[in-house]
Order: sequence, then C-alpha cells, then structure tokens
Amino acid sequence: MKVRGTVEFRELEMGVWVLVGEDGRTYQIAGGRSSLLKEGQRVEIDGEVDEAAMGVAMVGPILRVRRYRVL
Amino acid sequence: MRSVWCLLGVLSLAAACAPQPARTKVTAPGTPGASAVPHALVVDFRDGTPAEVVAERARQWGLSLRLNSVEGVRSGIAIAEEVDDVDAALTRIRREADVEEAEPLVRMEALAFTPNDPEFPKQWNLRMLHMPEAWERSRGKGVVVAVIDTGIAYEDRGDFVQVPDLAGAHFAAGYDFVHDTEHPNDDNGHGTHVAGTIAQRTNNGVGVAGVAFEARLMPLKVLDRAGIGNSADIADAIRWAVDHGAKVLNLSLGGPGYSAVMERAVAYARTKGAVVVCAAGNAGTGQVSYPAAYAGAVAVGAVGPDGQLAPYSSWGEALDLIAPGGNTRLGPGNGILQATIDRTDFRKPVLAEYQGTSMATPHVAGVAALLFAAGARTPDEVEKALFQGAASEAGAWTPRAGHGRLDALGALEALGKAGLPVDWAPLIWSAALLALLLLSLRVKVRPGFLNVLLNPATLLPLLLSTVGLWFLKLLWQRFVGHPPAAAEVLSLPIPDWERILFGRGRLASPLMYSALLPGIAALVALRWRALRPVVAGLSLGFAGFLLYAAWAKAPGIAYLPFTFLARPWLVLNGVLAALLCRSMLRREAGR
Repeated sequence: MKVRGTVEFRELEMGVWVLVGEDGRTYQIAGGRSSLLKEGQRVEIDGEVDEAAMGVAMVGPILRVRRYRVL
Repeated sequence: MRSVWCLLGVLSLAAACAPQPARTKVTAPGTPGASAVPHALVVDFRDGTPAEVVAERARQWGLSLRLNSVEGVRSGIAIAEEVDDVDAALTRIRREADVEEAEPLVRMEALAFTPNDPEFPKQWNLRMLHMPEAWERSRGKGVVVAVIDTGIAYEDRGDFVQVPDLAGAHFAAGYDFVHDTEHPNDDNGHGTHVAGTIAQRTNNGVGVAGVAFEARLMPLKVLDRAGIGNSADIADAIRWAVDHGAKVLNLSLGGPGYSAVMERAVAYARTKGAVVVCAAGNAGTGQVSYPAAYAGAVAVGAVGPDGQLAPYSSWGEALDLIAPGGNTRLGPGNGILQATIDRTDFRKPVLAEYQGTSMATPHVAGVAALLFAAGARTPDEVEKALFQGAASEAGAWTPRAGHGRLDALGALEALGKAGLPVDWAPLIWSAALLALLLLSLRVKVRPGFLNVLLNPATLLPLLLSTVGLWFLKLLWQRFVGHPPAAAEVLSLPIPDWERILFGRGRLASPLMYSALLPGIAALVALRWRALRPVVAGLSLGFAGFLLYAAWAKAPGIAYLPFTFLARPWLVLNGVLAALLCRSMLRREAGR
C-alpha cells in the first residue's frame, strides 16, 4: 500500500517517528533511513501495515517501509 | 406485627442510604506511629475554665501546667511536662470536677517511609500514589512481577551492563523470546525503565526509588531493539510467566490489532491467579489498544503531575485506571524518572525521564504486587482493592478515568476492609422495597412480610438476583480448587451474568440491567400461576438491584448513547420491576 503524509517525531516512550497520513490515520514508521525521518517532511511511503506487530509506542498501526519518495 | 416488619424494612433502607463514614487518616493512640512522651500528660478542663483556676489547680497538684496554645483558653487543653509519676498524677487529676479528661501526652508521627535515594524528591509520581505511607504497610516482598518488554539491564554480560540502581534488586529467571536465549538483556531501554518503576533498588543512596522494591522482577524479552514484537512471542511470554510463578504481568506495549491467541493467553494468566496489567495506548483516542482491551486485563491510562489525563493517553470503554505516566508538555521534570540504559547506546546507564501509558502501567503492576504481599489471594481481590482504593472525582467509572487515579495507600486500605466478597446492599434495598410495596396494598390482599420473604420459592430467586450464590465460589475454592465458569457465574447476581459470559468489559448490558427478564418471567407466570412466588422474588430482586445501582452510580450501561441516560434507565426499570413484583404479590394473596 502507498500512504502520503507528513513525517513527525513524537516525544513518547523512547521517542517515535510517525507518518500523519492524508488518509486520516497515524502510522508508526518501522524501517526507513535517516533521509526519510525528517521532521515535517512530506513523503509517500510504499509499505505494509504489520497487523501482528505490537510495540512500546502504541500510536497506531506499524507501517513497515519498503520504498518511499519525498514529495 | 406486620407493620412492625414494614417499619424495620424502611429503617434498613434508611441505614443503607446513610453516608459511609469518611476514611480516617488520624492515628489513634496505641497504634504504631503514636508513642507516649515520657513524663508528660495532657489535661482537658471543662470548656470555659478560667486561666486562674488552671493555675490554682497546677499549684495544688504540684505540676507546671500550662495551656497548650492560644486555643487553650477556649478549649481548656493544658499540658504538664517533667511529671515524676504520670500514673499517680493522672489518678488524682481525674477526680477533679472541672476536669473532663486527662491522659498521657502522645506524640503522633505520620506513618511514612522516606527513602534516601537522592533523586527521590523528583519522583512526583510516587508521592501522587502516597508511596511513603504505603511502604509502611507493604513493599511487595517476594511477589514475582513479569516485565514483558524489551528485556531488563539486569546483568553484566558481553556488551550488556547492569544498571547500577538495579544492583541488589531481586530477579527471577526470565527468557528472551526474540533471540531464544536465557539472557533477556535490554538493548532498547524501555523495559529497564518500566522495571525500575516497579522495583528500582530503593533506599540504597543511589538514583531513584520504585513502587514495590522488595518484589522480584522476571525479565521477559518479546520486543526487539526497535521496541517492536509480534503477538505470538507476547502470548508465549504471558503463558511462560504464569507457568513460572509470576503473580503480576506488566505489558507496557500494544497495538491496534486483535489477536485471539493473545486474548486466550490473557484469560489463561487470569485463571492461573495472575493479574495482567496493560498500557491503554498512546494514540490519544477513545479506543484502548490491545492487549489492554481484552477482558481480564487491567487497562491503564496516563496522567500528568496535574492529575489530568495526558493528551497522548488513550481512553474508552475498556479503561480501568489512570496512573502517573507524565506530561512533558508541562516542561522538564514532568515525566517519569527512572534508571535505564541510553536509547542510543545500550552499554551506557542513564537516568531518563520518559512519558507514555507504558510509564503509567508499572505503577499499577507495582501496587498489585504490594497487594499480593499484603495478603490478597486472587486477581479479583487485587482488582477490587485497586479500583475501590482509586482516587475518583466522579465517584464512579468514567471512560476517561476508569475507576479513578491509582492510589497505593487507598488500595491497601481497601484490601484491609474487604470482608466477604459480596455487596449486601441490593438485598437490603429489596427487603425495604418489599415493605413499601406491601404497605401500598390493601389489607385484604396484603400477605405478611416474612411469609413472602421466607418462602423458599421467593427467597431463592431474590438471593440470585441481588447477591448471587456468593458462597458457592468460596466453598469451591476452599474444598475443590479453581471454580468452573458455572460456579463463577452463579456466584454473581443475575444482572451481572452477562458480563462474565460475554466478557464485555466493565459496562453492563442495558438488557440485563433492565426489567426485561422479570417481565418475561411474569408473562410465563400468567400461564402457570404456581410460578408467581418465584416471579415475585425475581422482580423484587431486580427492583432492589437496579434502584441500588442507580443510587450508587453503578457501572455505565453499554450501548446507551449518553452516559447520563444510565441512571434514568436504571430507575425506570427498577420501578417497572417493583410494579411487577407488586402485582405478583397481590394476585398471590387474592387467590
């Protein structure tokens, strides 16, 4: 799946990078390089939501990044 | 005679309505924390005794008596020190007509344990729980608390280090489900922080304190270095923990996805006698994440130092409690401070301040350990004490606070007060209601109060619908072992059956909490008249149960659009059930 949105860092738990998606959902970004993880950057991420995954961040579905492009 | 019984019924209703005595915080003489001051006594003169009279008496008794304070002029309270023989002096003083009371002077000390950890003053979260007072009663000695997380920095091994403020803490053997080894060390920092809140080494002159610092930590690693894991490992760890003696499970983790496997694991832990405490989630929405949302888990939301729900904390129908999780938007010092390892270099111990429902959860797990160590035997008892002891502004369950804010002292006091696990109030309300209903009937068709009440056909359904066969579960536990589901269900009042059968969380079903069942029974009784005493007992029980629930601000009712509709709903159905009962009684008598 492809999701467009804005990358944000949230000071929650150990700190977590999220994608505030244009689909109205907030995803926890799993994977991705430092060029993706920039505060306020608009991106399109191609990846999969890992339905079986759980974690400490608990901000929303965990999105495993396959590819991405900066908008 | 009949009206006497009616009167007694009304009086018992009044007694049930009477306000509960306020929780006393004053330490009485003779209790620990109060000690007699040597060679000193206190005399309470009659109010308005002039100072000259006090001085005159002092001369007579040979004591240096002085009024205690400026208030002493009005209250007549005076103290004497350097008294050689306090007992003899008291015997003499008590004989005087202008003395109301005389006794040894007692020094009151607040019962509190203040640890010497240098950063303890920054732990607002522990003061919010009244930990210094609670530590005088329990420190969680020996209770095994499983931390199902990223591991714990508990040993020096290879690149891994033990956090200095965990040196000397107690550990049970754990497991690493991510790498399948017996060394669940932490490569993230989250699990160590959480473990610190539960059982940081305390009063060791180093770092910070923990809630249940005499408990034993069981490290179970299910999350990788990024703090992510899968439901299979977590479900395995839950079962592993209880099979290896854990009584409290801390799961500061979650996700939006439902997993039947994990739900069964939580239920298994519960049947094995363990309390499962889970984080409500950090999405800040009205949907509690899993596993917190499963029936049988205690779901914990987070508050900041102001006691308000933190903006990130999730809430909703499944929420049980709120506890300190920090709110760093209020500035530095408003997070939860514990010893852990650096999040960028796991070889480096640090004191770190984090916020999240993960941080709130171990406070509840720690207090659960205190309760087990203080004598709680079952998860039910622990939960009941946690909920009853919580500080609640609403006085009832709400979706944004659950049963209220965690309070360790309150929970321990609630555990001490817990008698038989049964609330008699609905039965008393039913008996009083019966008296009122009988009074409303004409004398010719009015049966006797005791004739109705002691008729087995009426009494059994009445008991079942108000208090349940509460003794069944107790007897089963004592003589057989873990009670089967049927015994659990029969131990509850009928309106609560649905909540066990379907595990719909903490909200009651509006169909069970209504006059529906008595109504159906009444329809059946139209055909079979012999059933009338049974239906009378059932509807009387429902009426008492529902009206008491309304009065006591009972649990919220599910599916109703607004929570404020719950009480009108209960009152309406309570009255309907009472009218059903009245018609059953009258026809029975008029036959």
